[in-house]
Amino acid sequence: MEGIQVLLFGAAADRAGTRETVLSAEGITLDELWQLLAERYPDLSPMRDTLAFAVNGEYARGDARISPGDEVAVLPPVSGG
Amino acid sequence: MFAIFEEPIDVGRLISAAQRPDCGAIFTFVGTTRIDESEGASVEYLEYEAYRPMADRKLEEIGAEIKRRWGVCEVSIVHRIGRVGLGEASVAIVVASPRRGPAFEASRYAIERIKEIVPIWKREVWSDGYVWVGSQVGTRERASLP
Repeated sequence: MEGIQVLLFGAAADRAGTRETVLSAEGITLDELWQLLAERYPDLSPMRDTLAFAVNGEYARGDARISPGDEVAVLPPVSGG
Repeated sequence: MFAIFEEPIDVGRLISAAQRPDCGAIFTFVGTTRIDESEGASVEYLEYEAYRPMADRKLEEIGAEIKRRWGVCEVSIVHRIGRVGLGEASVAIVVASPRRGPAFEASRYAIERIKEIVPIWKREVWSDGYVWVGSQVGTRERASLP
């Protein structure tokens, strides 16, 4: 089965100790994907309330459906400028 | 022009490119990296990273919002990534409009929007560690973890 590609940025990459990983799951929501991610990288958990997520390059909410082959990005508070 | 790149930003070239006979005002906003000091430590440089191509697309979206809302002639937004030395430009916004009002307002809007929706992150590298701005995560002792 094709995996779900997860990309991590900034402080989230720091906390997880990696910039990308692959999760195997089907028929899950973004919230459920977060649970899997937090189990794999417990140090990410305290950041939960500060994070935003993107699915295939667009901001997405917790109830968004995630399919194998999707790209999910974990986005800490942006600080450009 | 909407772009994200590692090279220094050529602000003069952006301004020249925005000059048009039907526009009487060009407003330029340049964000530069600032020296910060606290308790004997200081910032040595900044490092930016972006989620691409989403960040590129968000810059274009901001440009489209501005054109719709203010009817300006030209909008350029350029953001640097990678290592940026102190006092260097990290972001430049150039807006041209027939009269000055819209260019002023639109460029203010652009920088505020960048700070809201464009997936770019800034890491301050201090003499005693680093900190991710916005998350306050890092290796500095005084950086408070959430």
